[in-house]
Amino acid sequence: MMRVLDFAAMNTAVILAAEARTGVDDALAAARSFIEGAERRFSRFLPESELSALNASAGDWQDISKDLLEILLACAAFHGETDGLFDPAILPALKNAGYDKSMVEIRATGVSPRSGVPQPPRSRFGEIKIDSTRQRVRLAPGMQIDLGGIAKGWIVERAARLLAEWSMPCAVSAGGDMVFRGYPTDGRAWRVNIEDPLDPERAILGLRLGPCAVATSSVTKRTWVQAGHLRHHLIDPRTGEPAAGNGLSVTVVADSLVTAEVYAKALLIGGQQEYSGRASQRPDLSYYVVCSDGRITTGPAEIEQLPSLDPIHFEYAAPHV
Amino acid sequence: MALTSVFSFLIGWAMLAHAPKPTQASAAAQSAARPLPTLAPLAPLDLSGNANGAASSFTHLDIQQPQGMFGGAPIFTTGGS
Repeated sequence: MMRVLDFAAMNTAVILAAEARTGVDDALAAARSFIEGAERRFSRFLPESELSALNASAGDWQDISKDLLEILLACAAFHGETDGLFDPAILPALKNAGYDKSMVEIRATGVSPRSGVPQPPRSRFGEIKIDSTRQRVRLAPGMQIDLGGIAKGWIVERAARLLAEWSMPCAVSAGGDMVFRGYPTDGRAWRVNIEDPLDPERAILGLRLGPCAVATSSVTKRTWVQAGHLRHHLIDPRTGEPAAGNGLSVTVVADSLVTAEVYAKALLIGGQQEYSGRASQRPDLSYYVVCSDGRITTGPAEIEQLPSLDPIHFEYAAPHV
Repeated sequence: MALTSVFSFLIGWAMLAHAPKPTQASAAAQSAARPLPTLAPLAPLDLSGNANGAASSFTHLDIQQPQGMFGGAPIFTTGGS
């Protein structure tokens, strides 16, 4: 039997689960403390965070922590690997689309009136200078970055590693982005339901998984209205606007949550042509795309094996079992 | 047997007839009773913050709790956040 601890952090619900044995409660508490501390360092909404200090230093060299350096190096690698589809430097465009304060504030008071105005060309993440030896970076003048999902993935992975040192098997989930270590003691696999992006109360796919990471990007979760138009938080770096593809959500299963986070976002932003093309370059990934026309596309090898979106729930043994 | 039954019934009837009756509230007591005041309506639940501008302790969350247990482990849900 597993001990489960759930709490709110990173503006979402966090679930920690670990096999119940001596010391497990201390392990859960330590993992929670780590998550809450890391959130304070990498949130763009906290003016005292390390990320806010970095964004404020654009144009100058800034000393950073080893952890932030590790995340930024991963960002640089994925920015190149995805040909720029993954670009943390979209923050000015994201703010201009209306996401310039937390979703809690947007839902309470609406978007800021200063958003939605023409913007000068923004910097690309590739313009960042990273000096690993001296542990410092220089953002291009005017550049602002949002670590969003990749920081969350990094935090969850670290928390799972911490938890696993105390109690295996274990799992950490933050808003549905999750890492599994080991196999459940009494079950053959971890069970993960993929929810219908148009009806979160309904599961449309059930996955059975072994040790792995799962991330989902969706255009239906963080939404708001700006000047009469429905907007979402996934900015297409090619246009500077919320992505307009036919995907409603993309779930990626990978060995690393950071990888799953990046590819879930890149596939959703890239659209149909990316599903088979870009994902085929990473045969270690499995993906599940829920399209706006109700189809589910999976890959890389299982396309055409799934029924249509309606009627719903069946179980699917992912290759990672 | 029949006489005993009739006799027992009569004794019981006589005892009940002379037993104390429930008392009724007096007119004075009734006049002293006052209807309870109507409670003031509850303040609306403000999710946006309080009068001082401080953030509310309530937050909107995209809760994705485990939907149940399977083999002793939670069943997870993923849908983006």
